[in-house]
Amino acid sequence: METTFFHVFRNTPLGREIFMQSLYFCKHTRASIKIYIPEFTKFLMYFDNDVVQVDLDESYLTQPTTARSHAIALAVEAGVEPFFIPPMNFTALTLPDVSVDFDFMCCPRSISDFSSKISLGHIGPRVRRIVNAARFPVLIPSSQFKEWKSIMVFFGGSANAVNALNLGLYLSRITELPLDLFTQAGELSQAHFIEILKEHYIDEEVEASVRKWHFFQEGKFEHNLFDVPHNALAVLGAYGHGLVKEMLFGSTMEMVQSTLPNPLLIAGPNYLAGSR
Amino acid sequence: MRKTIFWRYPARLSFFRMDDRLLLISIGVIVGLFSGLAAVGLNRSLIFMLEGLYHLRHLWWAFLLPAAGAMASSIFLEKIMKEGAGHGIPEVIYSVSRYGGLLRFRSSFSRLISSSLTIGSGGSAGPEAPVVMSGAAIGSTIARFFYLNDRQRTTLVGCGTAGAIAGIFNAPLTGLIFTMEIILGEWSMVNIIPIAVAAVAGAEISRILQGNSIAFESSGFHITGVDLFASLGLAVVAAFASILLTRGLRRMHGVSVKIKIPMWVKASIGGAAVGLLGFFVPEVLGEGYHSIHDMIQGVFKGGIGIAALAFFAKIFATSLTLGWGGSGGIFAPCLVIGSFAGLAFHRLLAFGFPGTPLVNEGCFALLGMAGLISGILQAPLTGIFLILEITASYEVMLPLIIVSVISTTVTHYFEPDSFYHKDLKERGELLRPGTDSRVLADIGIREVIETDCITVSPQMLLREFFHLLKHSTRNYFPVEDPETGEFLGIVELGDVRSYIFNTVMYDTVFVEQIMNSNPDVVHYDDNLADVLETMDAKSRFSMPVVSNNRFVGMVSKATLLDKYRDELNVQTSQAF
Repeated sequence: METTFFHVFRNTPLGREIFMQSLYFCKHTRASIKIYIPEFTKFLMYFDNDVVQVDLDESYLTQPTTARSHAIALAVEAGVEPFFIPPMNFTALTLPDVSVDFDFMCCPRSISDFSSKISLGHIGPRVRRIVNAARFPVLIPSSQFKEWKSIMVFFGGSANAVNALNLGLYLSRITELPLDLFTQAGELSQAHFIEILKEHYIDEEVEASVRKWHFFQEGKFEHNLFDVPHNALAVLGAYGHGLVKEMLFGSTMEMVQSTLPNPLLIAGPNYLAGSR
Repeated sequence: MRKTIFWRYPARLSFFRMDDRLLLISIGVIVGLFSGLAAVGLNRSLIFMLEGLYHLRHLWWAFLLPAAGAMASSIFLEKIMKEGAGHGIPEVIYSVSRYGGLLRFRSSFSRLISSSLTIGSGGSAGPEAPVVMSGAAIGSTIARFFYLNDRQRTTLVGCGTAGAIAGIFNAPLTGLIFTMEIILGEWSMVNIIPIAVAAVAGAEISRILQGNSIAFESSGFHITGVDLFASLGLAVVAAFASILLTRGLRRMHGVSVKIKIPMWVKASIGGAAVGLLGFFVPEVLGEGYHSIHDMIQGVFKGGIGIAALAFFAKIFATSLTLGWGGSGGIFAPCLVIGSFAGLAFHRLLAFGFPGTPLVNEGCFALLGMAGLISGILQAPLTGIFLILEITASYEVMLPLIIVSVISTTVTHYFEPDSFYHKDLKERGELLRPGTDSRVLADIGIREVIETDCITVSPQMLLREFFHLLKHSTRNYFPVEDPETGEFLGIVELGDVRSYIFNTVMYDTVFVEQIMNSNPDVVHYDDNLADVLETMDAKSRFSMPVVSNNRFVGMVSKATLLDKYRDELNVQTSQAF
């Protein structure tokens, strides 16, 4: 079955950088890109148990006459065939719905959230809700396009981390890029994590596929992140906690995204790893 | 491992798994209470606004009050809440039709605030539709909180709607019937019970907080055969008033869309126009319940001319308010316009036939309201029960039924769809449960793809192809480029029939020579109804699904029919 990747196109230099990351992702995962060129500054995404209104800033409506040709030119240059999708339906006259029937989605930090636009370093509430509600992983690109040469999975042993690891294994298989693991273990031993892998029947595949396991029992998490290669795609799972809970108790996802400049691929709590 | 919070998943409890009605009833009560509270909140805020602005009404610049209110309402909805204008009921119906009642949380309060700004400042609109939107969004939010499925969520959206209508009118039966007739479009036992309970909860919380009062109490009417006969004429008048209001609203909205200025400017222009109109015909301002009260009591002071003028002015003011970006609903304006129509008709009869023993004019005002609500909403039961509950005039039951039914029928002839359904139907987005379009809309292309297909190469000889055919049960063979994997065309059994008995051709003809290189194909995003239409038009039983120039599988009528039946069973088995 075809793998599809959803991208909301922005006809600006920053939008180009983000689009190039989506194209790069599609090219290497052999996914077909579904491009949505917005005509309104908002659209709805109806998930299984949530409806998310994405409020775009005006930059997404920049020069609509050239948006399509710019997108085509960039896609052709990247060797990816572009597919443009219109809104599925309209909830209201100026409020289109966009399908959520995709396998991946690109979601810039600044898609709808003011705090992220002024670089406060938090993933905005809309992006967080998409991550929490979606069955697909969300690519949060870096501000500038850089080819990634390896995949780094953050594995903390939770069910979501196992999902992320499955995703990382899938990506490594399909892109033929080396896969690394990153574990901030604290007092737990490596045997504990291997046991978790065995429970999920992925221990052998991990052993065969993983190039290096960055295993830390000491040091601060944010300091150890220095070991993540600058040109790696970071893959991690998200618990799906709300903004307040994460601000109060902290979050690995927030820590990683605010420390690493790399593109992140986040598998939310509803991501179905078994579907791959 | 993620800790499961059991109380967030009540539907998983074995107690509710056998029959979830008790779960829906329990949560329905909560939804009904919150919706009733929303109705009371809106009511109180309207009273606060009206009382607060009362001392300004006599000032020369008072016509700017509706403009300011509409402008503030539009800015609040557009810029702060980032929602579109309008009353929101089509949004509720749309979400029930397509997405199992998923509504945004912000809708549970946004329209309450915006409509209180519009109506409280004098805009000609009603608070019922916003409160319905609010109640429905409350139901949807609570359903999402408890992770209920689509069907259960839809029922709770219905509970919210019923609770809101019951709360704002103190009319639980109307809440139930409006929900079934307009919002859900189906009468199933699984829905009726929780929705009825929610309506009771909504009405009860409203009675506790605001008192158990009848909105428009009448002094009692004695209906005779003459009145029944006269009500036939009133029904036709009400029907034409419905058509006039429907078209006026849509026309005004059409004009407003063509003018390229910010929405808040449009709203303020519309508001100012209504304010100016209100100088000459004060009855057009606000929800207009005071006028209805006077008319039903038979103490409305104006003559036939004033009643007729107020009738047209109210239609114009409502079209201006709602068509130009104000926030509110059409329920209350319908009641006002209907009562003016009834009053004017009664006075016309009394003028034309002075000796005729007609019932008090208040009765005709009341019948006019029912006629207008029934006509514009295409919902006769809602019209009948609403008027019975808000006036407690059970003695007018017979003419009420006559007016409602005839008005609905006549209006249907000119405007086949309810005002709330019209836009959705034009966009092909009104999908009622159990209908063909709804069943097909709920099936995705991915669900009906057959992937066990045999692909062939364009360079395959006919002999090899027949050998393949002998061992296959398939009638369609997609042709792929062996190097690039690109989809090139398709060979149908019918295409090779003429070659079967011509063995000379077996080693001279290649598949690429007999394939259909330009077949109709299906894409993932295609609508299944369109696919079926193409199959019917082209007499095809199967079509290839192609994505990214690659063959993915086949969609056949047989598989589609199997899936169709499954889906139909799912949708119709929910009836009891």
